[in-house]
Amino acid sequence: MRTASQSPATGTGGEPGFRGVISVSFGAADASADHDADGVSRQDLRFASANPEALANLRSVLAHSRVGVRLVLAGPPADVHAAASAVAVCGLVDEEITILCDEVGPRVIFCGHCHTSTTTDHAIGTDVVCQGCATTLTFTDHFSRRVGGYLGFSAHAEEAA
Amino acid sequence: MTATALQTKVHPALEGSLLLEVTSVRAQTNSITSISFGHPLGEQLPSYVPGSHLVVQYGTGANSYSLTGAGSAPTEYTISVLRVEDGAGGSLAMHALSVGDRVQVSRPRSAFAPAATAKHHLLIAAGIGITPVLSHARYAAEWGASASLIYVHRPGTGAHVEDARELLGSDLTECTDRNSFREVLTTKLTTQKLGTHLYVCGPTDFMDSVLEQARDLGWPKGLLHSEAFSAAALDDGQPFAVNLVRSGVKLDVPAGVSLLETLESAGLNIPNMCRKGICGECAAPVLRGAPQHRDLYLTDQEKADNTTIMCCVSRSLDKELELDL
Repeated sequence: MRTASQSPATGTGGEPGFRGVISVSFGAADASADHDADGVSRQDLRFASANPEALANLRSVLAHSRVGVRLVLAGPPADVHAAASAVAVCGLVDEEITILCDEVGPRVIFCGHCHTSTTTDHAIGTDVVCQGCATTLTFTDHFSRRVGGYLGFSAHAEEAA
Repeated sequence: MTATALQTKVHPALEGSLLLEVTSVRAQTNSITSISFGHPLGEQLPSYVPGSHLVVQYGTGANSYSLTGAGSAPTEYTISVLRVEDGAGGSLAMHALSVGDRVQVSRPRSAFAPAATAKHHLLIAAGIGITPVLSHARYAAEWGASASLIYVHRPGTGAHVEDARELLGSDLTECTDRNSFREVLTTKLTTQKLGTHLYVCGPTDFMDSVLEQARDLGWPKGLLHSEAFSAAALDDGQPFAVNLVRSGVKLDVPAGVSLLETLESAGLNIPNMCRKGICGECAAPVLRGAPQHRDLYLTDQEKADNTTIMCCVSRSLDKELELDL
């Protein structure tokens, strides 16, 4: 799924010593469209989703890049947040990352009971069934950038006998 | 120094401080001396974060000096002091110390800490700026963190050169003139892997040029760390008035006289230490008016808030400032 405009033939890595703008688009998003990088060299990466392979690919591009680089992440919230979390582990700071997050789209709910992540289209404040422990989880806007998801906790726990 | 060792009046910046004994004095170069302080009973001293400094009292004054150790479970605090003949007197007092003298010393204060999330530490020092950076290098060596150092010093006058060589090996780049440094710096700033944090210490103009070049080459602020040793000379500024609301006093601050000096001559006791806009001791609350911030202590946001003024160096943009004093 990856078609990078400046990608090497191997399909991994990236330009050694790159210090320009890396635009990463997930799904139908286009990170490069919103971002005017006047004259700055750029690499475009496109992924179907932020699956482990895509994130490994992104990390490999970052490993070849050097301080001075700027990263743009665009797409559905679940993918963008997963990518933002992965690149923060690589040591990138907020000023190096621009997030262009779709207003609607799947979110990741992180179960506070079994630590499994469940992806859902449900709106904030609603319930979702955890795919790890089958607990009915409710979630608010309590978001973790490290996990890249919203905290899900047992719904109506305070009402239980 | 025996006379000052017996003084009972503790400088306001040294509240909760320790009374330590000089355990060793070693000349690093003709003008730089390393001094170690230990507990009189040999007890362990509080640990500190790399890049921390000590405030050491001398006579009626006090001054900050960077600690050069790694900081974990120390039995000694070691500082290296450059003798400044025309300074406020702190460095001359430090150079007059001898083993056995007792000195009032603050607990270590951290203002130049390594970033916990850094993948690599790029350390840059010029002259006596080596001291806090050496602390970082020792810490990195102790904990297996990745670090490299560019050390600018004049041949034969660099302190801790052997220490740096031993700690860093091939990760040390020594520069003995500004031109070779410029080339090395440009290369280093454009070849650092992501997650590298930069730490710089040295003369103000040196630090300013390093930080400016880093920003020009795309380094975000969050990766840049600097430790001010001395402030650049400031102009006399414009005269202004201060209205001290709680004291019910109005004072004129003439050009060339600092707000701190004006407050002191009016009999107010304002805690202060460096009198250069670095240490943050002399913060005063502002109720009305926009200060002309000239300090290195407040963050950009704090300066924009206009609720605090460092009265040793900052002045007023308005004709009158109202202070909660």
